[in-house]
Amino acid sequence: MKKVLLLLSLFIVVTMSAKAGTTALVDTGKVAAPAPPDPPLVFSGSVDTYYKYDFSGHNNIGFPGAGGTYFANEQNSISIGMIDLALKKKVGKAAFVGELSFGPRSDASIPNSGYHIQNLYVSYDVTDKFNLTAGYMATFLGYEVISPAGNFNYSTSYLFSYGPFQNAGFKATYAFSDKVSLMAGIFNNYWNTYTSFRPIGESDAASGDVSTFGAQLMVAPAKGWTAYVNFLTGSYSGTEIDLTTAYQITDAFKLGLNAASFTAPHNGGGFEGIALYPQLAVSKSVTFGLRGEYFKFKQGGPDVKSFTITSNIKAGPLTFIPEVRIDGASIDTFGFTKGDGSPTKSAGQFVLAAVYAF
Amino acid sequence: MGERLYIYTMKKILFIVLFLLFAGIASAQKNQLSLDEHNKYVYYEVVDLPGISADSIHRNSNAFVEITYPKNKSRQISITGILVKDKFLIYSPIAKHESGEIAYILNIECKDSKYRYWLTDFVFTPYERNRYSVYVPVNGINIPLESAITKVSQKELNGYLEQTSAFCTQLGSRLKQYMVEDHHLIIPDKQPTKKIVTDKW
Repeated sequence: MKKVLLLLSLFIVVTMSAKAGTTALVDTGKVAAPAPPDPPLVFSGSVDTYYKYDFSGHNNIGFPGAGGTYFANEQNSISIGMIDLALKKKVGKAAFVGELSFGPRSDASIPNSGYHIQNLYVSYDVTDKFNLTAGYMATFLGYEVISPAGNFNYSTSYLFSYGPFQNAGFKATYAFSDKVSLMAGIFNNYWNTYTSFRPIGESDAASGDVSTFGAQLMVAPAKGWTAYVNFLTGSYSGTEIDLTTAYQITDAFKLGLNAASFTAPHNGGGFEGIALYPQLAVSKSVTFGLRGEYFKFKQGGPDVKSFTITSNIKAGPLTFIPEVRIDGASIDTFGFTKGDGSPTKSAGQFVLAAVYAF
Repeated sequence: MGERLYIYTMKKILFIVLFLLFAGIASAQKNQLSLDEHNKYVYYEVVDLPGISADSIHRNSNAFVEITYPKNKSRQISITGILVKDKFLIYSPIAKHESGEIAYILNIECKDSKYRYWLTDFVFTPYERNRYSVYVPVNGINIPLESAITKVSQKELNGYLEQTSAFCTQLGSRLKQYMVEDHHLIIPDKQPTKKIVTDKW
């Protein structure tokens, strides 16, 4: 009985409190309308799992550093990607985002082992058009992202795999209009690390610096078309110029493009490439897409062409992603191998992934 | 025996209260949109204000739009009414993050002793999560609510219609409150905090 009474009392107290909260500004006909409330604490994220089969019988494409690209690297296995949990809150002009991730995809995406932060930053709207942001953020370069919920394809491109994943720094963004904005910022001397650092062996091993400069020009030339021209340069991390654009040409057809050129520091080579992303929605739950990429290492290095046919089949918050990918390199020592382990110019794989985004 | 009967009665009361509460919430979320002669969703209401002149009603509706949409440059004011374009957010039923926005047009027309208002031209733009873990509009996708069934599931559409209806109902209620008297934008005095002297009791 006591429990019942307690519950009833609690209910009455909560009801009264809620009512009191909503009647703080009583409209008697002579008061200002209440300001819209701040958005709630927003919680979102995703989990993903996949099965992959490389046609050689062993892993080829999902093998970064040896001619491959990131993620989906476990052969003939039902494997997990990552669980991604993000919190966002904005009060007035101030906001924060904190995004944590756990799992093999997370581990591969953050070089600092044992770290699990994808995004952690605070931002402040100085005016409606001018924003300041500081912290550790997903990089502003490139078409693809780490979160599987943010990509159409489950496997990733060479341009994504060899470019930056995250940058820690401070940036200012000014929106001239809905169609044009400019971002400029300073970032830690190395990509993908929470702190700046100086390599052991250099004269000052005590600390790194915030010596990378980045800028992004956004233009929206037509309805549904957005283009980003990105620039990131630093004496430690090199220089990358990147164009990322997407155009929703019709309700059903979207075309994306990513082109980039990277020059490593101290004449250490680099890469350049271009990727096209045509996508066609054939129904409200099924979309087909192709990723065609050409990627080349500078200073006479090899090149690779990659074609990925992907479908996104949506069932509410769950997306099934079947995908077939064929890569062909200019040399047989690019990193791909046949079933018997001998080098070859080409590799192919099938992936079936399931991504649940909430 | 008597105590068991008392507990049973209390349980019944509690269940009835909870049932009424949830029934109230459910009915508040019910879709109250209609279709107009062009088969477009519309939230429409005529409100009587006996004895109040069209000028006063028009002035009040002006003040309402002024304070509800302070930075909105789309408003068009005519002799008999006001039109304003705006949008509101739609939230995901699972995680309560933004899942889209719905653009709409609010019309208010005034006559002696009555006014009418309607919200229509609802256009849905889905949101997607960007690389910074922030939900932003999907560029280039604008779906009239009437044809949204070709792009989203019935369950999703029902959710959007319910949230649209709830928004319209809330906006209509605020408008009604606002129309009943002449308005001067006065911020209410802050209630003084009650002081307690603790050394005298």
